[in-house]
Amino acid sequence: MRKFMVAAIPVAALVLFVCIMISGSFFKKPFGKNDDVAQMIETIMEDVNNEAWDEAVAEVDELDSAWRKVIKRIQFSEERDEINFLTSNVARLRGAVSAKDKSDALMELNDAYSHWKELGK
Amino acid sequence: MNEALVVMVRAIISYFSLLIFARVLGKEQISQLTFFDYILGITIGSIASEVTVDLSSRAWPHWVGLATWAVLAYLMELITLKWRYAAKFFEGEPTIVIMNGKIMENVLKKMKFRITDILELLRNQGIFDLNEVDYAIIEPNGSLSVLKKPENLPLTPKDMNINVTPTGISTELIYDGVLIEENLRQMNKDKKWLMDQLKKRGIKDVSEVFLLTLNDAESLYIDKYKDNIKKVKDIGDYKGPF
Repeated sequence: MRKFMVAAIPVAALVLFVCIMISGSFFKKPFGKNDDVAQMIETIMEDVNNEAWDEAVAEVDELDSAWRKVIKRIQFSEERDEINFLTSNVARLRGAVSAKDKSDALMELNDAYSHWKELGK
Repeated sequence: MNEALVVMVRAIISYFSLLIFARVLGKEQISQLTFFDYILGITIGSIASEVTVDLSSRAWPHWVGLATWAVLAYLMELITLKWRYAAKFFEGEPTIVIMNGKIMENVLKKMKFRITDILELLRNQGIFDLNEVDYAIIEPNGSLSVLKKPENLPLTPKDMNINVTPTGISTELIYDGVLIEENLRQMNKDKKWLMDQLKKRGIKDVSEVFLLTLNDAESLYIDKYKDNIKKVKDIGDYKGPF
C-alpha cells in the first residue's frame, strides 16, 4: 500500500496540475444563464446592427459582469494578455455603445469575439 | 485577474512538478554531475521559473517543455545505462593526464585543461609535489582522481600486519534527548544496557543527551547538552554582526 501511494501521489499530483493548466476550454463554457459571454457578444452585435442602443448598453453591463465571472475561473490556465485584451474590448465597447458609434462598437465586438475564441485553445 | 494568486498557483505547480521530475531522474549529488547534466539542470530550472512568473503566456506550453526535457533526460539516462557505447559518447570517459609521473601534454590540450588547473585539483587533494603522483585521471564530472607513488601512499594496518576489528557504521540511539528504541533493538541492546552506560558517564537521564551513537565495535559517542567548555574558541578572522 505504502509503495502504491509513493507512486500514486506524484502521478495524481501531475494529473491535477495538467487538468488545471488545460482547464481553460472547460471553464470558459457557461455554467449558468448569466455567464454566456459568446452568446452575449452575439446579442450585442444584433442590437448594434439594429441600432438598439438602450438594449445594447444594458447588454454590455451584463457582458462585463459575465466576463468578470469567467476570468476568475480561467485565470489559472489562460495567458494574462488575452484576458486583458478582452477586458479592454469590453471597456471600449461600453464607450462606443454610449456614443452610439456603430463602426467602433462592431470593431470591438469582433475583436472581443476573436480573443474569446483564442481562450482555451 | 488576481496576478499574485495566479503566480502562487503556478509556483505550486512548477515546484512540485520539478520535485517529482527530479526524483524520477534520480540524479546523484551536484558534485557527481557531468557538465551536460549541470546545463540540463539549469535549463529545466529556468523553464520551471517561466511556468511560475511568465503570465504573458499560458503555463501549459512551458510545462510541456519542462516535461519534455525531463523525459529526454530520463531516456538519455536509460540509454547510457543500457548501452555503454552511448554512455562513452554522451558522458565521456575517464582520461589519464599523468601516467607514471609524466604529464600527458597532448591529453591536456585535447581536454582543454591547463597545467595550472591540474595543479589546483592536486592541491585540493593535499598534493603539493608532482613527484608524489603516479597516475592522475580526469573523471567525466571534471574531478581529478589521483594514485600516489607507492612510497608516498599512507601506511595501513595491513602493511604492518596488524589485525583490526571492523567498526561498522554508527547508529543513532539518542537524538535531541529522545531515545530511538527501533535503533536500540536493531543493535541488539536494551534500555537497561543504555541506562547503565549513561550512568557510568554520570548521566542520569536520556534528556541530558543531545546525540548518542553506537557502532558495531561497541564504541559509544556521547554529546551532552551541557558541554562544560569554559572558553569557546572563535575561528572567525573578522568581527561580523554576530
